[in-house]
Amino acid sequence: MTETGWKARGVVKGMAEGPALISQTALSFLGDLDIRSGRVVGRSSDLCGEVVTGRVLVLPETRGSAGAWRFLYQLKVHETHPAALVLRELPDPSVTQGAFLAEVPIVVVADTGFWQAVTPGDRLRVDAVAGRVTRV
Amino acid sequence: MRLSDHDKALLAGDQGRAAQLAMEALVQLGEAYDAPDMVDIGYAHVHAGMALYKGDVELIEATAEQGARMVVPVSTNIANADMGDWHSTGAPDSLGQLQKRAEAAHRAMGSATSFTCTPYWAGHWPTWNMHIASIESGVTVFANSVLGARANRDGFFAVYAGMTGRYPRFGLHLNANRQATHRVRVTAPPRGTADFTALGYAIGTAVRNGVPLITGLPFRPGLDDLDALGVGMATSGGVAMFILPGVTPPYDSDADAAGLPEVAIAEADLQQVFDGFCTGDETGFDLVHLGCPHASFEEMKHYAALFAGRRIAEGVEVWVTTNRVVRQMARDAGLLAPLLAAGAKVVSDTCPISCHFARTCSPDASLGVTPPKIRTILVDSAKQAHYVRDMIQCPTLFTSSERAVESAISGRFVPRARQND
Repeated sequence: MTETGWKARGVVKGMAEGPALISQTALSFLGDLDIRSGRVVGRSSDLCGEVVTGRVLVLPETRGSAGAWRFLYQLKVHETHPAALVLRELPDPSVTQGAFLAEVPIVVVADTGFWQAVTPGDRLRVDAVAGRVTRV
Repeated sequence: MRLSDHDKALLAGDQGRAAQLAMEALVQLGEAYDAPDMVDIGYAHVHAGMALYKGDVELIEATAEQGARMVVPVSTNIANADMGDWHSTGAPDSLGQLQKRAEAAHRAMGSATSFTCTPYWAGHWPTWNMHIASIESGVTVFANSVLGARANRDGFFAVYAGMTGRYPRFGLHLNANRQATHRVRVTAPPRGTADFTALGYAIGTAVRNGVPLITGLPFRPGLDDLDALGVGMATSGGVAMFILPGVTPPYDSDADAAGLPEVAIAEADLQQVFDGFCTGDETGFDLVHLGCPHASFEEMKHYAALFAGRRIAEGVEVWVTTNRVVRQMARDAGLLAPLLAAGAKVVSDTCPISCHFARTCSPDASLGVTPPKIRTILVDSAKQAHYVRDMIQCPTLFTSSERAVESAISGRFVPRARQND
């Protein structure tokens, strides 16, 4: 299978690879996630029941609390953190600050082609330094 | 990103390892948001170090041990236990003692150890055009909307801002983002702070991350009302600033937002917020919580007057939460005596959602922390109700402050009066 790549804006620098976990709803790191298991427990999320650990989390946007940073960082402390975040919109500074502490790369992809093409389970390589997301 | 000579000196390590790491982090943050340069900040409200989260107090201790010192006035956010008396809330000694370590680390760094979500009631009152950093979304919205200071919804990096006195210029530090995105027309006249939290909650639900310009309030809200309004919208949405013409600097009373998306908030919308948070058993509540966000001196006066000469019903516990400074002022003014005589507890540094009642945290197992079984918590704030639902994960009852006190006395829930009652 040939690789397909999309341009991305690196928000939190780093590189990661993993299977895509795709949501159509906004996710709140405070309240929607169980930090011990990495499981999505928020009923307003279409990922309810899924585990984010090691996945490339593909989200339209993040939602809500300024406490988001703490929960993202706690996922790292408990080793239940996602591999990377791919967002459509720039996140709240709190999410970005948590991702810096947790060393979870974040990119924002504006290209609608990516959002149409990506499917659950696709193996994605996120390069937030070069600014690229690649399906491998 | 353009850096000043001072920024470069910090990056080079001239002020020590802690300041160097802090500046490196702030530069990364600035690059993430295309900030052109850094601004001087005048104040920071920073993370407490939370004993209920694994490794979190240690994170603050490590920062202090690296030699971090605050170079601007700094207050600390709410913590996980009342460090003066954690026994009154049923917290184990292990938790209280770990929380005290965060207090010691902050004292070493020169932070004012206020441990509150309302540092403004403890005297931290930034002014118009002052750039600040804030970890608490309620502080961010109050600073932007009431005081005219400039703040984003920060996380841990508020500590770095406090240590360096610098912050990247992006978000609400820029004039371009301090403009209305929605015009909100309010037709329900809110009465009391509980109503104002519900009004804010309804607005935040409608405008999400926007900047609402609010019209239609029939009177100029007081400081407690403005505080309640802001925390409501910061809870349901990602609102970091509202514009109330004639109140929010520099917007004069004739400021308008014609042509922007319109949102109408009527009495029914307010009532819907109350109804949505009335999920508990009307005779089966075990805790009545008052003071979210942490009560001001004026609110303490109000609560003291409501409880004076009365006695809380058997089987009901009442917490009034406020910060250390207000608690001392209230004690000096004789306001604690009527509360304590009625059987209420006055709690500082924490609140139900921030203490060991929360189920979303993950304390070190050696602390021996077990969240108690709680049937229902009755509150007078939409913010507390929202996070009781998400963090303590038990049912709530939500009413006005006056009726919350009536409920505590009678042991039977008294719902909010509808506008036409």
